Amino acid sequence: MSPSTATTNSPGKRFKPKSRVKRGNSAPLRGLTPLVLGLALWQIFGAVDSPYFPRPSTWVEQIVDFYGSGALLPALGATMRSLLLSLLIATIIGTILGILVGASRFFDRALGPTLEFFRATPSSAMVPLGVLLLGYTLTMKLSLTVLAAMWPILLNTRAAMREFNPTLLDVAAVFKMSWFRKVRTIIMPAVSTAILLGIRVGAPVAIIVTVLIEILTGVTGMGALLAQSQQQYNSAGTFALLVLIGVIALAFNFCIAAIEAFFTRHLPPS
Amino acid sequence: MTETLAIHIARSPAKKKSWISRLNWTGAATLTLLLLLWEVLDRAGAIQFNFIPAPSDMIGGAVELLREGSLQSAIGHTAGVALIGWLIACVIGVVLGTILGISRTIWRWTAASVEVLRSFPSITFVPLAVLLFGFSSAMELVVVVYAATWQVLVNTLEGVHTVSPGLRDVARTFRLSPLRNITTVILPAAASKIIVGLRLGLNLALILAVAAEVVGNPAGLGYGLMVEQQALQPERMFVYFISVGLLGIFLNAILQLIISRALPGITAAAERGQKS
Repeated sequence: MSPSTATTNSPGKRFKPKSRVKRGNSAPLRGLTPLVLGLALWQIFGAVDSPYFPRPSTWVEQIVDFYGSGALLPALGATMRSLLLSLLIATIIGTILGILVGASRFFDRALGPTLEFFRATPSSAMVPLGVLLLGYTLTMKLSLTVLAAMWPILLNTRAAMREFNPTLLDVAAVFKMSWFRKVRTIIMPAVSTAILLGIRVGAPVAIIVTVLIEILTGVTGMGALLAQSQQQYNSAGTFALLVLIGVIALAFNFCIAAIEAFFTRHLPPS
Repeated sequence: MTETLAIHIARSPAKKKSWISRLNWTGAATLTLLLLLWEVLDRAGAIQFNFIPAPSDMIGGAVELLREGSLQSAIGHTAGVALIGWLIACVIGVVLGTILGISRTIWRWTAASVEVLRSFPSITFVPLAVLLFGFSSAMELVVVVYAATWQVLVNTLEGVHTVSPGLRDVARTFRLSPLRNITTVILPAAASKIIVGLRLGLNLALILAVAAEVVGNPAGLGYGLMVEQQALQPERMFVYFISVGLLGIFLNAILQLIISRALPGITAAAERGQKS
């Protein structure tokens, strides 16, 4: 019998599903053991001047180098700025479109196939297209990222609007609410959880697209720095930036999840 | 379109309509209308961008590419790599996900590592893979497998974790061997979540295949996109772009069809689970 089934009957076990909700946020540090162990073994047993698998200590040296040459901070700033801005725009557009499409059966059916095509088209294919149409500009970077990160927000909002209870609108009619008040007090509360979830799903997508654009076009950013290191066969730099971008993504997603948890704290855990 | 269709069918299983009335005509009409509008605006010179071709020009581009044979080979390459990579990822992801999910001890000692590694943006592995494997299909495959594996693994893990304690008790009561426990209790109970993982994994496989081609591998649809972009051939480029989108829809539809035929009961549950 496997160890897990053997312990099924212990009383604490039943509460596991609840703690699962928080797993991503408060994963105990011991879970990092395999990762730390792997890096340590790499550091100890890795060849000193391996051209392809440089030891982790050289990654740190590379980061310090990037920082010292003044390339790191502007790149970091550019990436974060376009990331935050595009996520904000994506939230606004995704919410509005999601509410419209979800509220009307006709819009839903009319725009369904078109939306489906754009949703199914890999965001990576949009990048060369955007570059051709808009050139190497901030507008290009923002619109491509918005276009990719918008879908989870739009689709989640649409789903929430579909399950929206029409009786609530009767309430608005009874109280003769203004349009603005109706949206603010009735529709937004109904879809806000879905929007927050959409943002959480959309954030990693936004990171991926932003970095891809930077890799591909060389506009200032972490991705451009990464592509540069690769083109110069600077393997330590490539590993270092990969880890750094990963850690930034991790922190970014963590913040988004924390914001979501803050705004949904009054809701019962699902 | 396929998705809304499927939901539509799932909602009204009793009524069997002909496929003609089930087709989303409003949607098809809107799409056609949009394309027509685009064509007219382009012909009238109302579109200011230099590089937006009219839909009719794109058809010309498509015919050209088909005659050269480059479109077929590009689609074949991208679809092949994405599918092979996805299949490998499915095997690794489901096996590892089950192992990590079934044993609390292993999970406790690996959870944070999994969380950290899987949230690394997969796109950053493309430059690394180029460095290690050169500009090759092997590079593309490695990137696809790496990215899709996490998706399948995490969903399998979640599926296994949400198997109800009652079911686990049943397995225990019947004194099932670990292998039988997994094949007859755990995996079927986790199937709806695993299916969601497989579908998301397939999407991701295609995204990463195209991304790897765009950045480095000299073959496939992504490479075609880049070449035509640099050659300033927008009508040919749009053909590649639309092909990528259609390929994504096609692969998704095929997978959905296979799943709904093979596991009809679970499909409805997966549909619901997919929204979250």
